[in-house]
Parts: sequence; C-alpha cells; structure tokens
Amino acid sequence: MKLADVVSAMHFNLFAQIALVIALAGFATVVVSVFLARNREPFRQASLMPLADDRPADPTGGRA
Amino acid sequence: MTTATVAGSVGRNERMEQFVYDDAVVRLFLLATLVWGLVGMLVGIVIALELANPVFNLGLPWISFGRLRPLHTNAVIFAFAGNAIFTGVYYSTQRLLKARMWSDGLSRLHFWGWQAIIVAAALTLPLGITQSKEYAELEWPIDIAIALVWVVFSVNVFGTIVRRRERHLYVAIWFYIATLVAIAVLHIFNNLVVVAGPFKSYSIYAGVQDAFMQWWYGHNAVAFFLTTPFLGMMYYFLPKAADRPIFSYRLSILHFWTLVFIYIWAGPHHLHYTALPAWASTLGMLFSVMLWMPSWGGMVNGLLTLRGAWHKVTEDPVLKFFVVAVTFYGMSTFEGPLLSIKGVNALSHYTDWTIAHVHAGALGWVGFMVFGMVYWLLPRLFQAELWSKRLAELHFWIATVGILLYIVAIYAAGLTQGLMWRAFDETGRLAYPDFIETTVRLLPMYWVRVVGGVLYIAGMVLCGVNALMTWRRGPARYAESVHEAPALRPLPAEAEPGGFKHAAWHRRWEGLPLTFSVWVAVAVVTASLFEIVPMFLIGSNVPTIQAVHPYTPLELAGRDVYVAEGCNNCHSQMIRPIRAETMRYGEYSKPGEFVYDHPFLWGSRRIGPDLARVGGKYPDLWHVRHMGDPRSTTPQSIMPAYPWLARTPIKWSAVERGVAAQATLGVPYTREEVTGAATLARAQGKRIAAAIAQQGGPAGLEETELVALVAYLQRLGTDIKKSSTTAAAAMGGEGTGR
Repeated sequence: MKLADVVSAMHFNLFAQIALVIALAGFATVVVSVFLARNREPFRQASLMPLADDRPADPTGGRA
Repeated sequence: MTTATVAGSVGRNERMEQFVYDDAVVRLFLLATLVWGLVGMLVGIVIALELANPVFNLGLPWISFGRLRPLHTNAVIFAFAGNAIFTGVYYSTQRLLKARMWSDGLSRLHFWGWQAIIVAAALTLPLGITQSKEYAELEWPIDIAIALVWVVFSVNVFGTIVRRRERHLYVAIWFYIATLVAIAVLHIFNNLVVVAGPFKSYSIYAGVQDAFMQWWYGHNAVAFFLTTPFLGMMYYFLPKAADRPIFSYRLSILHFWTLVFIYIWAGPHHLHYTALPAWASTLGMLFSVMLWMPSWGGMVNGLLTLRGAWHKVTEDPVLKFFVVAVTFYGMSTFEGPLLSIKGVNALSHYTDWTIAHVHAGALGWVGFMVFGMVYWLLPRLFQAELWSKRLAELHFWIATVGILLYIVAIYAAGLTQGLMWRAFDETGRLAYPDFIETTVRLLPMYWVRVVGGVLYIAGMVLCGVNALMTWRRGPARYAESVHEAPALRPLPAEAEPGGFKHAAWHRRWEGLPLTFSVWVAVAVVTASLFEIVPMFLIGSNVPTIQAVHPYTPLELAGRDVYVAEGCNNCHSQMIRPIRAETMRYGEYSKPGEFVYDHPFLWGSRRIGPDLARVGGKYPDLWHVRHMGDPRSTTPQSIMPAYPWLARTPIKWSAVERGVAAQATLGVPYTREEVTGAATLARAQGKRIAAAIAQQGGPAGLEETELVALVAYLQRLGTDIKKSSTTAAAAMGGEGTGR
C-alpha cells in the first residue's frame, strides 16, 4: 500500500477547505485584537520610526 | 515634525555607540537598477516590434520572439526590480535598525553575484537554454547561483537585524523578512530538477503537478518579489517623502499578516478550467478574492499617509510617482481578484488582457515606486542637488502617458481576442474559425503598444540622464555621516501593557525577529502544504489513461527543441472544456494526458493557436514549410521563421542523456530504449524525412532538429485519438500516473 492510497482514502482535499475557515477565523482574531487596542501610543511611536532614522550624530553628543 | 518621542528614546546614562551606514553598496544597486531597467525595457520594445511585424525577428535565432520574451521578463523582474529591491532594502534596513549592514564583504558579494547571474541569464536565454517555466526559465547552474546569492543576502540582512540598535522592527522590515523567507522556499521547490547535461534539466514534477508547482511559484513570485518588498519600500519611503508618518500602523499589521497568509494560496487561479482539479482552482479563486481586502488596506494606508500633504504632490515629482504607483497597486489588486473569478477567467485567460494586467502592475506599481525612490535617493546618495527637477517631472508625464497607451491598447486587444475566440454565428458555428482572423485584428493595437513602450523607456532615459548628471555634481569623495544610538537593550518581560486587547503580542513580536520570522515561515509553508499535499497524494487528481505512452526518443528531442525555441510563449497545449475551444481545437485536455510531461508545456497565452491536438492535423511537409516560412502556409501569420532548424543537427548524446534523465524521473522507458535512444531516434528520423521527401519536400532532413520537432508536433494529442474507447474505459482508474 502506498502513501497515495492512504491519502486518497482520507478525502484529504477537504482539509484545504477547513484551512479556509481557519484562515478566516485567524483574520477576524487579528482584526479584533489590533483594532480594539486602547493604548495607541506604541503604534504612534512605531509609525514615526522612518522619520527619525537619518539624522547624523550631534557632535556635542546632545549635551550642549 | 518632532522625533523626540520615538520608541527607544535614550536615557542619560546609556552609552552611545557611533556608526556609519554603507551607502556605497546602495549607490551600486541604484546604478544597476537604471542600467538593467533600460536593457530589460529595450528588449521589451524589440519583442513588441516583433509581434507587430515578424520582420523584426530578422531571421536570427537568438533574437526570435520565443527566446527574447523570457529575457525581457527576467531582465525586468530580476534585474530591474531585483536591483531596485536591494537598493531600497540596503538603504532602509540600515536606518531602521540603526546599524551598518552586518558584512561589507557579503554586501559586495551579493551585488556582484547578482550582476553575474543577470549576465548569465542574458547569455543563456537567447541561446535557447531554458527550463521553459515562466519567470523560472534559468537553467540549473544559474538556479544554484541564485540560491547561494539569496542566502548571502539573507545572512547579511538577518545579521544586521541581530546587530541592530533599535528594538522594534518597523513594518518595512516585516515585509523584507517575508520576501527573504518566501522567495527561498518558492525558488528551491519550483526548481527541483534532474540534470540531463551541463545546461539541460527536467522538472521532477510532471503535467498537472508541475503546472500546479509552477503557478504556486509564478503567482507568489509576483507576491513576494514584486509586491512585499515594494510594500516595505512604500512604508519607508512614502512617509519620508511626505514627511508624515504612515496613516495607520495598526492597519499595516493587518495588511501584512493577511497578505502573507492569503497570497500563498492564490496560485491555482492561473489554471482555471485546465486539467488541474477543480477543488484546487476553486480554492485559488476564493483566496484571490479574499486578497482584495488586505491589498486595498495597504493602498488606503499609502494614500492616506498624504493627508494634509496633498499640496506637496503638485510640486514634488517623487510624491507624484508614489501616488500613481499606489493607485496602480490598488487598480491591479482589484483587477487580480476579478480575473481570478472563473467566469471572468474563461474570457480573459490566454488573451492579452493578462498582459495588460501584468503591465499595469509592473510599469505602474513597480516601475513608479522605483522611480520615486530613485529620485528621492539621488540627492542623498550622491550628496548633490537633483540635477533637474523639471526633467523628473517630464519623466513622470511621459511615462504616465506611455503606460496608459500601452495598457489601453492591450486591454482592447485582450477583450477583442477573448470575444472573437468565443463568437458564434447564427448557425451555431464559430464566427472566426481561422485563428489568424483574430490575430490580424490586433495588429493596430500592437503598434500602439510599441508607441507606449517607447514613451515609457524615453522616460527612463531621462531618469538615467538626471542620475548621471546628479552623480557628476557630487563630491569626488563622499562624506560619511556618523550616527549614534545606544546599544540594544534586552527586551523587558512586560515591556508594554499587554494582552489580546492591546495587541501587545504583536508589539512583542516586533522585538523578536526570530519569532517573527518563524511565524512568517509557518504562514508560507502551512498554506503551501494544504494545497501541495493533496495535489500530490490524491490519485484521483490525475486519472491515468492507458493509451498514453512516453514520447519516443526523437519526439523527446523535438520537445526539447520546442522548449529551447520558446514555442510555449505563444502556443498553449491545453484545451479547456468550453464549447468555443472544443469546436476550434478538439476534445478537451485530460489530466492523464500529461503524466510524462517533464516539464508541463500548457503555456499561458495564445499569440498563436493551441497545439494540444495539432498531431496529425497537417502533413509533415506542412510543418516543414511552416517552420521555414510561416507566411507560406498562413499568409498573415506573425510567427517568426525558423530556417535554422533545417540546418541544425540533432545532438545524439543529448538525446541519450534526455531519455536516461526521464527514466530516472519514472517515465517507463525500457532498458533498450534508454541504451538505444540515439539509434531509435535516428530510425524514426529517417522515416519522417523519407515521408517529407515523398510529399515533395526537401531531402536530407533526417538528422536535423526540424525532423525532431515535426515528430513531436505530430504526436501531440494523438494518444487518446488512437483508441478513444480504450481510453474512456481506462479513465477513472486511480494512481499517480507514474
């Protein structure tokens, strides 16, 4: 008996449809988690990262 | 814009580390982007001319359409877009992580290794050295080089992540990680082959399964090479250019994970109504439709970043390019799901509609993202003011008009093709039974495409001039700015108020690159396995047909010629179960007919007619005349002539190696067929050559590639014709077909 015989008998293509439902549930979970977040400050700080990355060092080391 | 509150603000007693960024490698990649972009698009103009008038093929093998088309696609995707990706990644990664690249040596090895791969592609593809799979045409030695260079790139990026001074990975870095992981998986598994010579190999997969793997790769090459890295660049460069933070960081979290989880499933929509099992193509369609939402989430996030800054768009060519790029991203990612719906796909597939869709994405989204980034980087990298802002503005308008001319003409061509192919007259017969009637109708639109392409490339020339002059304005020796930041601190156990409601789990992942990368890999691999395992292990996916036998050694040699000349770039070998197709081409194609096809050759467009059942349709002499001069048999044909096939001798050693390699893959050749492949091929060649001479054709063709190609073409689709009753009885038997 080959692995293909075993899998063929399992109607394994149903698993892909189950995965579709799992993916939708995962999506809903992430949406709820991210958009229910009340503390938005960390997100705001993170969004500023590209704007803060390219300044050369202050020759006084910021102590002037 | 204040940046004082940015995450990771420094305490007074922390020791500051000083560092400089490696911008030299960014300059190299940027210049390579422009050079290869010009080359790739020039080749695009040449093949556009060849389609408008076959005289532009010049009768030369190495510039015929079938060989140059893969060079165009590979050059634009891997040379132009690839070098642009590396430009953006090397520039932004260092700054977002506050660290110089992990190894200057690896950066240089990456740069020169990638350029060597591009040169190897530019040499081998025109010589007909190809695996035939779209966007994966390069042969096995180059594939190994690509894998090695990708490892170099990945080690360098992950090494930089490890050495970073910024705890949190910004959203752009997530997209880069997804690119690194997914492209490695896709490239390796789609290019698994058995070697049959120094520059010849056969896919380990056959027929239906090979088609599935190819479009799993092909679609996700678009996803993870032409989308995710450019989204990463959008999330970095668009806020920089607009001097505004991204509209919604939370939306970017949703955008990223949904894109990574969903995209990988969508590949089978490229194979609707083919011999692929319906469950797979339906699944591909469902996930493709779902993709619309995350894609538009990204588009909305990009465009709304410009809130309060729209007035800048009128003055700044960088923002102009970015706005149009993101708009094209939105259009393409709406059209993609639309095309994946089976009813729409029945009309659009194999037509130029797909070509228009691809070019809206490539020229509009990818191209304009690249140009926006280039114009933003030029003054910063070359430490001089941009030579001419007006020239950049002119580039923008010329390129925009060029894209519009291109895609409007080709959308019209695609719809014309699709509607003419399926048109019936009042008696129920095909309204345009001769394929050439539909081809001729497209020629004016093909000329408009040439004009659009010339405009787009003219814009690129302007960009090149601007880059060159800005470079010349720069200093002889570039100043290296010193930056400083505190060393990375350990992640506190409870860094932020947490729990599910605050999405603190994601904030934590953003500081844990290994965990983050593992989840990306899980998303890519799990989704792939859900489709791949059933595809390979359920026997009923590919019912065997007893009448289907392996190709003879000469037919296999002819198949290799078909692959080398790139015939699959214009001809499909897949008749869909649609009335207009079965009336035009014959019985629809069955999965079991392709079990010995390493690789599959179903094609993806029909510049010429389908060839799945061309075997026996014409006498051998017709094929000989058609190959020598297609206009002699079909007066208005746009097919290139292949006079060299009648002069090129068959390489008998390659025939023997080919049959042996196919036997290794499980094709049931007998030991006598393997050891005597050349002898068997010679004998069949003599028979065919004699028949051609008897029909009034030229003599002395028995050892030429032309005879091998005729043998292959005359075999196509004939197995189930030979014994249709036997075949029908045999269908439904289960097994992998091996």
